[in-house]
Amino acid sequence: MSQSGATVSQECITAYNDLKLNKKHKYVIYKLSDDNKQIVVDSTGGGDEDYEDFRQKLITAKTKSKSGAVGKGPRYAVYDFEYQLKSGEGIRNKITFIAWSPDDAGVMAKMVYASSKEALKRALTGVATELQANDPDDIEFETVIKTVSKGTAA
Amino acid sequence: MSQQPLTTSVQPTETYGGDEVSALVLDPGYCSTRAGYAGEEMPRQVIPSFYGHIDGRDIFGDEVIVPRAGFEVRNYMNRDSVVEDWDAATKIWEHLLLKRLQPERPTPPNKNGLNIGDDGDVAMGDGDNNDENMVDNLEKPLAESPLLMTEAPWNSAKAREKAIEISMETWGCPAFWLSRTPVVASFAAGKATALVVDVGGANASVTAVHDGMVLKRSIQKSPIAGLWLSNQIRTMWEQNEPKVDLVPTFMVENKKPVEAGAPADARLRTFPFPIADSFRAFEEERLLTEFKESVVEVWRGPGRYMAPGNEDYARSQPGRVFEMPDGSNQMWREQRYKVSEGMWDETAAYASAGADEEGRVSKGQTILSLIKASLEGVDIDLRSNLIANIVVTGSTTLLNGFNDRLNMELAAMYPGLKIKVHAAGLTSERRFGAWIGGSILSSLGTFHQMWISKKEYDENGPGIVEKRCK
Repeated sequence: MSQSGATVSQECITAYNDLKLNKKHKYVIYKLSDDNKQIVVDSTGGGDEDYEDFRQKLITAKTKSKSGAVGKGPRYAVYDFEYQLKSGEGIRNKITFIAWSPDDAGVMAKMVYASSKEALKRALTGVATELQANDPDDIEFETVIKTVSKGTAA
Repeated sequence: MSQQPLTTSVQPTETYGGDEVSALVLDPGYCSTRAGYAGEEMPRQVIPSFYGHIDGRDIFGDEVIVPRAGFEVRNYMNRDSVVEDWDAATKIWEHLLLKRLQPERPTPPNKNGLNIGDDGDVAMGDGDNNDENMVDNLEKPLAESPLLMTEAPWNSAKAREKAIEISMETWGCPAFWLSRTPVVASFAAGKATALVVDVGGANASVTAVHDGMVLKRSIQKSPIAGLWLSNQIRTMWEQNEPKVDLVPTFMVENKKPVEAGAPADARLRTFPFPIADSFRAFEEERLLTEFKESVVEVWRGPGRYMAPGNEDYARSQPGRVFEMPDGSNQMWREQRYKVSEGMWDETAAYASAGADEEGRVSKGQTILSLIKASLEGVDIDLRSNLIANIVVTGSTTLLNGFNDRLNMELAAMYPGLKIKVHAAGLTSERRFGAWIGGSILSSLGTFHQMWISKKEYDENGPGIVEKRCK
């Protein structure tokens, strides 16, 4: 269980399985419900969307504070990366878990997301890599693919 | 005048299990102890962990530490920030949680002055100032308040059990939790994984947190923190030409302005009783803290302060004037960098006259050595992720230049690796980082299932804290 006690809704696992087994999505973005009690699906994507669309969704994510003020919001995401190997030995897929928590989000939101992460991560079986990202540079495609492929991507 | 019913906003709204839990958060440190309500942004009460001892009783709070006969200043913690005197700890925590934080309770009808009998006067006891009475009067004074406490990651199993025992048995808390300070500091920075560099009053420590758990083998600490820096300043003042006298504010009756560098022209107070060393040291610390906050800086580079040319350069830069309570004053230029340099470079530390003085720094005690040793204590695959997620917290990191220097040194130590140092911009978030983290965590509606409940405690005994609060 996570340290905050937040739980994972069933739809999170369904959406993840659609990504992993059915290749229905390229990515799933998760968020905490407004009462911070449950992790739910924020959005899914794929088809003709590219990585940059996904990145923009994270960067522009919002969270409402207790007092009702809207500020930058952390998110969790899984992204199914596909890349060519430098060595020319073919294509690899890696499902990557991203804990996105922008440094300029409110301390309350950051705390809730960081302390609830474990619950979601444990519910999603078969994640190959995990990333913790705190500013837009951390989730630039080149940076991420380098980490995900451990430098083997072309 | 007609009587008004209580509006809903003043009526108690405790719905234990929901968001309205009236949990308390207590964050004890060697220099100060912080307490307040869960869900608030700041601790309501911050008092010194030092307390007064006079005529066989203990008194608490900043305002009671004044010169008086037979008065001693003590601390309930040891220099490792672990509770040493449990009787005093219990009393000081009760002072905070019961006396300072709890809302005034209605006076019982037989004492509220509205039901005076024939025999006249109301006895005006002096019980108001007596914490012990208060606890005795209320059998379970915290029966409605879950309590979250923070602790150093090296806290002993015995001390952890003692903390839950007092909370559950003495105060009757319905629920209890212990959070390790690096974990909550890391969470408050939005990171479940981080290398937490905490430079506070008595200790500097470096702890790796991975997925919200402290990695035990990574824990490193040394006394190179705020109090050590105070001792460096003392030594610097002693060795200064002319020597700077450390005269705390309480000693000065009046003063006249004097030229920079001239001897003080002040009348000092005399007391008809001896002033205890411990009281004097506490007051000196106030002055040293002021000096640290307004004058001391960390050398930002290039290179270390001791590198050739740097000292001359620092001397040519604008300095800062500091006026002592007795009116003597002088400009501090290169010294204000030099005095903090021992945190980074053990060869630069001021050596005081005594051979095994606390001022001595060994190579393994500098902040950089702590970081290095901490990283060496964890799995090699985790290291680069930790270096990219450094969280800086603790009051002593508020010294100007601290983060710049840390960045520069780490870049030199780990070339080619991505280094990122995160430090909360708000001063208060770094002074009270652990308290704020604990406050948010314990205010979450979902956290009610995490608390160790009274029932669980009754069934398992104090050992439950080791099993649950990992």
